[in-house]
Amino acid sequence: MSEPTVTYEEARAELARVVERLESGGGTLEESLALWERGEHLADVCQRWLDGARARLDAARRDRDANAT
Amino acid sequence: MTQADATPRSSAEEPWPVRVVSQKISAWVARLGWVWIDGQVAQVTRRPGTSVVFLTLRDPAADISLTVTAHRDVLDSGAPALTEGARVVAHAKPDFYPSRGTFSLRADEIRQVGLGELLARLEQLKKLLAAEGLFDPARKRRPPFLPNRIGLITGRASAAERDVLTNAKRRWPAVEFRVVNVAVQGPSAVSQIIDALAVLERDADVDVIVMARGGGSVEDLLPFSDEALCRAVFACRTPVISAIGHETDTPLIDFVADVRASTPTDAAKRAVPDLADELRLIATARARLDRAATNLLDREQQRLDAIRSRPVLANPITMLDSRSDQVNSLRERADRTVSHRLDRAATELHHTLARLRALSPAATLERGYAIVQRSDNGAVLRDPADASVGDAVRLRLAGGELAARVTA
Repeated sequence: MSEPTVTYEEARAELARVVERLESGGGTLEESLALWERGEHLADVCQRWLDGARARLDAARRDRDANAT
Repeated sequence: MTQADATPRSSAEEPWPVRVVSQKISAWVARLGWVWIDGQVAQVTRRPGTSVVFLTLRDPAADISLTVTAHRDVLDSGAPALTEGARVVAHAKPDFYPSRGTFSLRADEIRQVGLGELLARLEQLKKLLAAEGLFDPARKRRPPFLPNRIGLITGRASAAERDVLTNAKRRWPAVEFRVVNVAVQGPSAVSQIIDALAVLERDADVDVIVMARGGGSVEDLLPFSDEALCRAVFACRTPVISAIGHETDTPLIDFVADVRASTPTDAAKRAVPDLADELRLIATARARLDRAATNLLDREQQRLDAIRSRPVLANPITMLDSRSDQVNSLRERADRTVSHRLDRAATELHHTLARLRALSPAATLERGYAIVQRSDNGAVLRDPADASVGDAVRLRLAGGELAARVTA
């Protein structure tokens, strides 16, 4: 929610970059921890986006089924 | 010719007056009676305000002409599209006009003939209209997919009307029509159809116009090749679907219309979509959409899960593990180093002790020597003068101590 403008693709791309950097090692522990926190946050953003999309899809299907009867 | 009347023969002395001659000519001319006459129209004169049409009928082969008069209705019913060059057969009777001394044939029936020639003329008009661009596919407008209201121009209670209405309703039950019934053949057809076009063109709700007529003879369908009608259809801003006659009929309007339907039923098909088909298409599209959306979400979920299950995210402790390993190994190294130094120190100490021990008097004592110390202050006696008689001394031997007293 801290980043309402970020799109799913942007969040996912950044998440992939974060994971890559984490996996390649290097940097201070402080930096690694900060990266990890960023990664968790981005993963949450992506998940919320997917959950939201699925909820909208389900709602639309319910509406359609309700209208169909 | 016999002279049936009683008028005496004329002579220089007894000439006939003009009226008598005129009467006689009139009688002679009338004697021909009704005849069928075949000729080519050299000229058609329709005088405004009169109902009589004057035709100049020419012999197709020889340069011989006759004037034919006919009531406009006669011409319109038998030869509505009569123009110069048309071949006609007329049922006519010669009429003498005494007042001017002229005669003409009065026709009560005129039939246009010479279909080949007629078609040739249509072909010529077709070329003209084509050259003007009236058939240009680029100028054709596409009828709306789903019209608000369909304008239908057709004969009253005709099969064509029924076909269009029934089939359109079957395909799209909510379809709305504005029907204008017109004469679809005969003299008034063209003007009525042009008027109907104008009426429907003005109706803002009508967004496609269907012109339908069942099959008929080539002559019957002639109004639909009329130049004025073709131009009216071309000028019409509302898309026009023509459905005239059978599949094989091609009145010129078929080329001008925006869509040519082979039959009235076909016109209905082209005017409205099939509801059942559309519903099926929508259902199919919706199912595909649904699947696509679900697949997309599933795929993205898998991608996200894959990223999240990478050890760096799923098990962030691993990030600490390596560092913890470093700390442990450093600690071990420190341990090892320190204990090593301790061991070395212990060994050193041992050696030093051994040396110390080697230097101690114990070995000397072992050999039977003794150390004498004063008991009072522990001072070692090195000279007999160091002690007086009666002083208490301690003898340190290899095996232990003895207390003694100086006696001499």
